[in-house]
Amino acid sequence: MAIPHPRDIQMAVVDWLDARYPFTKAVDEALYQRVPNFANAFYYCFGGMVFILIAVQLLTGILLALYYVPDAGGNPAPAYTSVNFIQNSVYLGWLIRGTHFWGANLLIIMVILHMARVYWTGSYRAPRELNWMVGVIMLLLILAFSLTGYLLPWDTKAYFATEVTIKLAGSLPPVQLGTFIKEILQGGAVVGPPTLQRFFTIHVFLLPALIVLLMYVHFRFIRAHGISEPM
Amino acid sequence: MADSKPRSFTRRTFIGWWIASLLTATVVTALGPILIFLWPAPAKGQKKTAIPVNLAKAMADLSPGDAVKFDAPTSPNSAFVMANGGGDNAPGDLAFGGFAVKDQKGATHVFAINCSHLGCPIGLNAKDKTFDCPCHGSRFHLDGTVLHGPAPAPLSDLSWKPGDNPNTIVVDGIVLGF
Repeated sequence: MAIPHPRDIQMAVVDWLDARYPFTKAVDEALYQRVPNFANAFYYCFGGMVFILIAVQLLTGILLALYYVPDAGGNPAPAYTSVNFIQNSVYLGWLIRGTHFWGANLLIIMVILHMARVYWTGSYRAPRELNWMVGVIMLLLILAFSLTGYLLPWDTKAYFATEVTIKLAGSLPPVQLGTFIKEILQGGAVVGPPTLQRFFTIHVFLLPALIVLLMYVHFRFIRAHGISEPM
Repeated sequence: MADSKPRSFTRRTFIGWWIASLLTATVVTALGPILIFLWPAPAKGQKKTAIPVNLAKAMADLSPGDAVKFDAPTSPNSAFVMANGGGDNAPGDLAFGGFAVKDQKGATHVFAINCSHLGCPIGLNAKDKTFDCPCHGSRFHLDGTVLHGPAPAPLSDLSWKPGDNPNTIVVDGIVLGF
């Protein structure tokens, strides 16, 4: 029997799928867009790098959730010991957690660079204002990710950093409003187990759903407008 | 094509497979660490060890046909490790209890508590001198062999040796670490 070329195997699979739904047409429409020459400069890659970093964060985040215990009760708290366990006992746990940690830091840098590029090339101009607004919301979401994720290891640094941020948010006048915000964030009178529960829920359920939705909107806008011409 | 010779292994085929292999290697390199990460790490403090067990009646004082039940300690949370298994049991499987037995012939055994059918804890039938499983009616002789199905294999032994005082035995087990 003649040895088939891998492409023949690939075509057999694709043909089978295409006979049932026009996948090739859908993928072609999504992928085969002409990139204008001016968009070949390296600084047009920042947005795509943000996308890849977010994908990495989602993947490593799901993996970390397999071992992380969002429980701040007791001393040492399971939240702290589970992070310790990931870092020291889980096979390659240091790698996955390290990727999540450094990915988060890089993400902020790349988001800022992407935003700077959009500003520099004036890509926020009409008719693209809505996409700028969506981008600003996503910037705030990324910062919210960072804030809530910072508390999850439940070590001294995490605890007191969150204490400070919540105090900042709670200093909003009038006093009643500040106290209200503070207690909503803390889930009680002090930073404690309810705070971790809230931050964890926001970090792993609420924000990922929002950011994925907004990324979809962001990309649909890009496709609708095309890449903006240089000024 | 004019001639109907089957396609041979051409340069294109080779390069195609070469690239496909590179792509596969890339994917495996990316997924490998994830699979390693998913492999369960032992809990901190988990270790195989010999577990001392206090028996309600000293092994030497058991008369033929006697059996005493014992449980794995719960602090620290521990389990016994089966020596031979059979049926649903396998060597290395964990048991959370056992029976110390002197059978009618006077031989001593220490059995894991799990029935070899589906793992239910067996109980001593003092009247008939058998171990009966409450789940599906399997029955075992006091030497561990099957008296009545559906159990397909004898009870699993636990590895043990006499302890410091007559009432204790030391059984191979594991401290779970959680």
